[in-house]
Amino acid sequence: MQKSTIRLLPINFLLVFLLVSCGVNPIRKLEKVPVAKATFEAPYFSDPKIDYVYKTHISVYGNDLSGIFVVKKINSDWHRVVFTTEFGNKLLDFEISETDFKINSIVEELDRKILINTLKEDFRLLLKKKFAIQNQFATVSDAIYESEDGKYYDYLFVSKSGRQLHKIEHTSKRKEKFSIHFQSENNIFAEHISIEHQNIKLKIELNYLKNE
Amino acid sequence: MLMKIRSYILMLSLLFVSFTAFAQEQKMSDTEITAFKQSVNTVSKKIKSLSTDFIQYKHMDFLAKDIETSGKMFFKEPNLLQWQYKKPYNYSIVFKNGKILINDEGKKSAMDVGSSKIFAKLNKLIVGSVSGDMFDDKEFAITYFKTKDFNVTKLIPKDAALKKYIRQIELSFDKQDATVNQVRLMESAEDYTKIVFKNKILNAKIDDSAFTN
Repeated sequence: MQKSTIRLLPINFLLVFLLVSCGVNPIRKLEKVPVAKATFEAPYFSDPKIDYVYKTHISVYGNDLSGIFVVKKINSDWHRVVFTTEFGNKLLDFEISETDFKINSIVEELDRKILINTLKEDFRLLLKKKFAIQNQFATVSDAIYESEDGKYYDYLFVSKSGRQLHKIEHTSKRKEKFSIHFQSENNIFAEHISIEHQNIKLKIELNYLKNE
Repeated sequence: MLMKIRSYILMLSLLFVSFTAFAQEQKMSDTEITAFKQSVNTVSKKIKSLSTDFIQYKHMDFLAKDIETSGKMFFKEPNLLQWQYKKPYNYSIVFKNGKILINDEGKKSAMDVGSSKIFAKLNKLIVGSVSGDMFDDKEFAITYFKTKDFNVTKLIPKDAALKKYIRQIELSFDKQDATVNQVRLMESAEDYTKIVFKNKILNAKIDDSAFTN
């Protein structure tokens, strides 16, 4: 009896492992509800009159980097994004739309493909305006909209109480890649934003700078 | 009719005034340059310490407004330097014995200036622009101008690596005390950082221990 238990143990482990790794995204196990709207419009970063200026702290694999991120909507499709040091030296300057990306300038120290691609992906989602909704789920506190994004999915968490977009999860079929958290007082403007990656040790925190 | 002529004259003179206000920057003569350099060198040699308030304006052409930050700056001979940003956030950076110490809203970090050549150059430039000790013809192509209140030097870096980050530095010296009143670091023709110093105190006692983070 004992012998067979021991013999079965590795098989059990294998089974558990297979089940876990093949598991579907936990959001998809939530209560599915009818899709209320075919598109969802994110409220943040959409006013071309506003200079969106954020004091920024980036921690990447135990290293810290701080500075100021500036985002401006420059026309219907494009945003300009500039990252400077506190002294004002420009470290990175790029323009981004849902389909295109253009670097205006970058300092040598940051000119790494992996870093640029990560920031591109993060900011593209952060600045995305319209999401086509395919599925909708519900928890006690949130409505969760599922939007297909190439081979990925975006899950938009909107609070039922304030109807506020407070989180976007960017996931593959099985696991979360990164998430963006918003804190907003008026639902138009996010005072605090954090972008957290699951597969790499990267966290970007943005705090709105009152520029009066 | 007379009224009309008077108002024309008024308008013309106003135009003239504003025109001269624009054109007020004049090139210095060679003798003026020599005298100016001498007075700055004499004063900067006497500067043992300096503390001042500052306001920084980051101008980027695509923004509606400059990004304004402000705080205090302390300098002590030969190369202790601290910038304390107080508004709208707390951020302090100390340059000390080849190290850079940062305190970002309580998050502390440190790095070697030596690890980045460009940072070493920038550091020298910042210290130099505060003390006015910048007239190095090997490092910069320098031109000299004067306005009503200021002597202005424009420095173009000769080093290719530095030039990538800073196209031109403009230092405005107070004519009264020959110290730097304003620094303008131009990244491009459109974008610059302007730092204006206010309430300067020269040679007050500042302890070395003040330069910590």
